[in-house]
Amino acid sequence: MKYPTDHLRTRLACGTRLPAALLGLGLLGGCASFSPDGGLDKVSAITRERMAVAPAPLRTDQDAARVREEVKRLLAGPLDAESAVKIAVLNNRGLQADLAGLGIAEADVVQAGRLRNPTFTFARTSGGGEREYERAFLFDLMGLLTLSTRSDIEGRRFEVIQMRVANATLDLAQNTRQAFFSAVAAQEAAKYQEEAWIAAQAGAELARRMADVGNFSRLRQQREQLFHAESTAELARIRQHAARERERLTRLLGLSGKDRHFTLPERLPDLPAAPLSEKDLVQQAMDSRLDLSMARTEIEGLAKSLGLTRATRFVNVLEASYLNNDATGEPQKRGYEIEVSLPLFDWGQARAAKAEALYTQAMHRVAEMAVNAESEVRDAYGAYRTAHDLARHYQDEIVPLRKRIAEENLLRYNGMLIGVWDLLADARQQVAGVNAAIQARKDFWLAESNLQMALNGSGAASVGMITMSAPASAEAGGGH
Amino acid sequence: MDRRQFLSNAGAAVLGAGLVSKAGAASLPEAPILTDPATQPPLHPMDGRPYNPVVTLNGWTLPWRMKDGVKEFHLVAEPVVRELAPGMKAHLWGYNGSSPGPTIECVEGDRVRIFVTNRLPEHTSIHWHGVLLPNGMDGVGGLTQPQIKPGKTFVYEFEMTKSGTFMYHPHADEMVQMAMGMMGMLIVHPRDPEFMRVDRDFVFLLNAFDIEPGAATPKINTMLDFNLWCWNSRVFPAIDPLVVRQHDRVRVRAGNLTMTNHPLHVHGVDFEVTCTDGGWVKESARWPEVTTDVAVGQMRAIEFDARLAGDWAFHCHKSHHTMNAMGHDVPTMIGVDHRGVVEKIQRLTPDYMVMGERGMADMGEMEMPIPDNTLPMMTGWGQYGPIEMGGMFTVVKVREDQKPGDYSDPGWYPHPQGTVSWEWTGEPMAAERREGPAADAQTLKAVKPAGHHH
Repeated sequence: MKYPTDHLRTRLACGTRLPAALLGLGLLGGCASFSPDGGLDKVSAITRERMAVAPAPLRTDQDAARVREEVKRLLAGPLDAESAVKIAVLNNRGLQADLAGLGIAEADVVQAGRLRNPTFTFARTSGGGEREYERAFLFDLMGLLTLSTRSDIEGRRFEVIQMRVANATLDLAQNTRQAFFSAVAAQEAAKYQEEAWIAAQAGAELARRMADVGNFSRLRQQREQLFHAESTAELARIRQHAARERERLTRLLGLSGKDRHFTLPERLPDLPAAPLSEKDLVQQAMDSRLDLSMARTEIEGLAKSLGLTRATRFVNVLEASYLNNDATGEPQKRGYEIEVSLPLFDWGQARAAKAEALYTQAMHRVAEMAVNAESEVRDAYGAYRTAHDLARHYQDEIVPLRKRIAEENLLRYNGMLIGVWDLLADARQQVAGVNAAIQARKDFWLAESNLQMALNGSGAASVGMITMSAPASAEAGGGH
Repeated sequence: MDRRQFLSNAGAAVLGAGLVSKAGAASLPEAPILTDPATQPPLHPMDGRPYNPVVTLNGWTLPWRMKDGVKEFHLVAEPVVRELAPGMKAHLWGYNGSSPGPTIECVEGDRVRIFVTNRLPEHTSIHWHGVLLPNGMDGVGGLTQPQIKPGKTFVYEFEMTKSGTFMYHPHADEMVQMAMGMMGMLIVHPRDPEFMRVDRDFVFLLNAFDIEPGAATPKINTMLDFNLWCWNSRVFPAIDPLVVRQHDRVRVRAGNLTMTNHPLHVHGVDFEVTCTDGGWVKESARWPEVTTDVAVGQMRAIEFDARLAGDWAFHCHKSHHTMNAMGHDVPTMIGVDHRGVVEKIQRLTPDYMVMGERGMADMGEMEMPIPDNTLPMMTGWGQYGPIEMGGMFTVVKVREDQKPGDYSDPGWYPHPQGTVSWEWTGEPMAAERREGPAADAQTLKAVKPAGHHH
C-alpha cells in the first residue's frame, strides 16, 4: 500500500490544488523560533536597569567555572550589600531554576508560533462485498489564519514570563539585601552584648573580691553575680540569633562548604547624606514597577485576543480537507472539502461577551493595581522616611547623649560622687543604647530595600499578578 | 573700708531705688548691695553709740542711717548668686546681694527701724532670732503679721533691750527660704564698749546646702543628706582664715541654721563659751573646752587668748562636714584587688581609673576632671601638701607681727627651726604595705542572739 503521506507530500509540493493561503505555510511556520539568548537579555536589561544586577544562566561547565571564579573574587574581602546581591544572583540555585523555566516558556512560545501538523485520516470500510477507502487530509486553516495574531499574543506572554523571572531576580536581590543587613546588625549587636557581658563579668569578679575582704554583703555580691549569669544567657541568645541571620544569608547566597566562612563588615553602612525625596517617587514607580509592566503587557494581549474572538466568533470550526475517496470498483474520487459550522444555535455571543468581560475585569484589576502600587509607594516611603529619621535620631541624638551621660558619670566617678557600680550600670545602659541605634539603622536599610522593591519590583507586599484566562488562548480559532 | 562697694553694682541699686519709691516711702534708707564674697573689714560706727565692731567671715556689715534717734537699716530679700568656692557658684536667695545677708550691728538700748523689701517671687517675713521684742515684731507670718508680698516693703521697729549674739531669718515658707540661704547675723553690742572687750570679734553662720554636682540651685527638700557644709555660704578652701595677732583676745560667734549640730573644734587654744542664745555666760559658769557643740538654732560665742603662733585648724568635728560634695552611697573599695578587672571595665569606659583601693587620699592629690560647677570632695593645699579638707574647715592664723586691725592673710606660718614633725631616718621598719585581713568564714557569719540556752 502506498504510504499516504508521501502522496500528500507530493501534492503539497506541487501546490496546485490547495488554497493560496496554504502556500504561505512554509513562510509562516518559521516565524516563531528560539532566540539565541533564551529570552535572558530582556530579563537582564530589566534587572540591570532597576537594581544593577543581571542573572546569568549556568548551562555549561565553563559557566559554572566562571561563576565560581567570580564568587571567589567577591568573597575575598568583607561583603557589602552589593557584592552579596551579586553573589546571590550568580549563585542561588533557586534563581537558576527560574532561569531554566524561561527556556521552558520559550519552547512553549515557539511551539505556539508553529502550525499544528496537518492530519491525515484513512478509513477502510467493507460490507456487502464492497470495500470503501476514505482518505482525508485535514489542515488547521484557522490556525493558519490566526497564526500572526497568536504569535503576537504568545510573544507577549513570553514577555510577561521574562518579567516574572526578572521579578524573581529582584526578589532575590531584595531578600539578599535584607538578610545581609539583618546579619550584619545581629553580628554587631552580638559584639556589643559581648562588651556588656565582659563588664558584667568584671562586676561579678569585683563583687566577689569586695565580699572577700568584707566590703560587700553576700546579698550585693550575689546580685552582681546574678547579673553576670543573666548576661551570659542573653549573650548566648544574641549569638544564636546572629548565627541564624548569617545562615539565612548563606542560603540566599547559595554558599556551602568552605565558602560559608565569608566575612561580614563590622558595622552597617552609614546612613545616606540625605533621605530620598518623596517627590517623583510615585511617577517613578508607575514607570518602572514590574508588576505594572507585566499587567500592561498582559492587557495588551487581552485586547488583541478580544479582537480576535470578535472577528472569529461566527467561525467556530473551519476546516479544509483534502479528500481522496476510493470505492471498490469505482473510479477514484478526489477533491477537497471545507466544513463550516453554521452559527444557528451558537452565534458566539457568549464567547465574545466573556472575552469582553475578561478584558474589562483585567482593566479594573490593572487600575486597582496602579492605585495599590501608588499607595504602596507612599506606604513604603513613609516607613523609609520614619526609619531614616529614627536612625538619624539615634545616631545624632540618643547615642551622643548616652555618650555624654557616660562622660558625666565618669566625672562623677572621678569626684567620688558615684561608685564603680554606678559606672558599670551606666555602661550597660550605654550598650543598650548602642544596640537600639544598631537596630534603628538596620530598620532603615530594610525599609530602604522595601522602598526599592515598591518602586521597581512587584511591591513589598508582592502584589499578585492578574490572571490570564482562556480567551487569549492560542486555541481561539482551532478548537476541536 | 570698701563698704560702698554696692555702687559697683549700680544697676541693682538703681532698681532698688525704683522699687522703693513705688512702695510710696520716699524716705527709705538706701539698701546697699554687696556681691563680693571676701571678708570685709569691720564697719566702725560713724554715729550713734560707740561699740567695737565685729568682722563677718566672708561677709559684711549693713550700713545704717540715723533718723530722729532711730537706727534705720534696709534689707532687700532677693535671689543672689553666691560663690561657695572658686569653681562653684550657687543660685541662692539672700539679702542685699549676698547669702547670708549682711550682719546687722547695733548697741544695747538702740531703737532700730528695719525696712524689709521683698524682691523674691513669693512672700516672706523676718524673724529676729533670740531678740526680745513686742510680739507683733517677731516676724512669724500669719501668726504675728501678714506676710510681706513680693514687691512690698515692711517696717520692723523695736528696741534692743539686751546685748548678745542673734540671727535673723524668714518665718514664712521658712523651710524653703532657709534652704535657699536666707539668713544673717544680728549682733547687739553691750552699752559699755569695755564690757568683755576683745581684740578681734568674728561672726559667721553655719549653713548647709544640697546642690547636685553639676547644678547650682539647692534641693530644698533635702532634710539631712546635705553635701555642702558651709560657714557663711562658703566652703574650704574658700573660707577666709581667722587672722589674729599673737596674744589677742579673740571672740568667735557662730549661729547654727543647718539641720544638725556642729561640734566646733579649734586647734592650738582652749576656749570658753562666753555667750549663748540667752546672753553672756557668767565667768564662774564657763567650761574650758577645745570643742563646743552648736546645736540647731543655737548661737555660741567662744573666746580665747591666742597664745601660740601658728596656723591652727578650725573646723566642725563631724568629718563628713569637712568634705565637699561626695557620694554617700559609694561602696568602700579599700583593700579590693582590682587586677584583671580594670582592663575589662575600661573596654566600656576607657578613661576609668581605680580609686579608693588604698583609701580616699588620692582624691586630695589627683587633679581629675569632675562635673562642672562642682568642688572636689577634699581639696586645698598647705605648705606641706594637700590638706584634704572641704566644707566647714578653715585656719586660725596667729602671728606675732600681725598689726592690730589688720585682717589680711599673712600666708603660711614660718615654723621655727626644729618645731615641725620630722621623718625618722634611723633603722626603718619593714616598709611594706600591710594587706588587710581577708574575711574568713567566721568573719561574715551572722551571730544570732543567744536563745534560751542556760
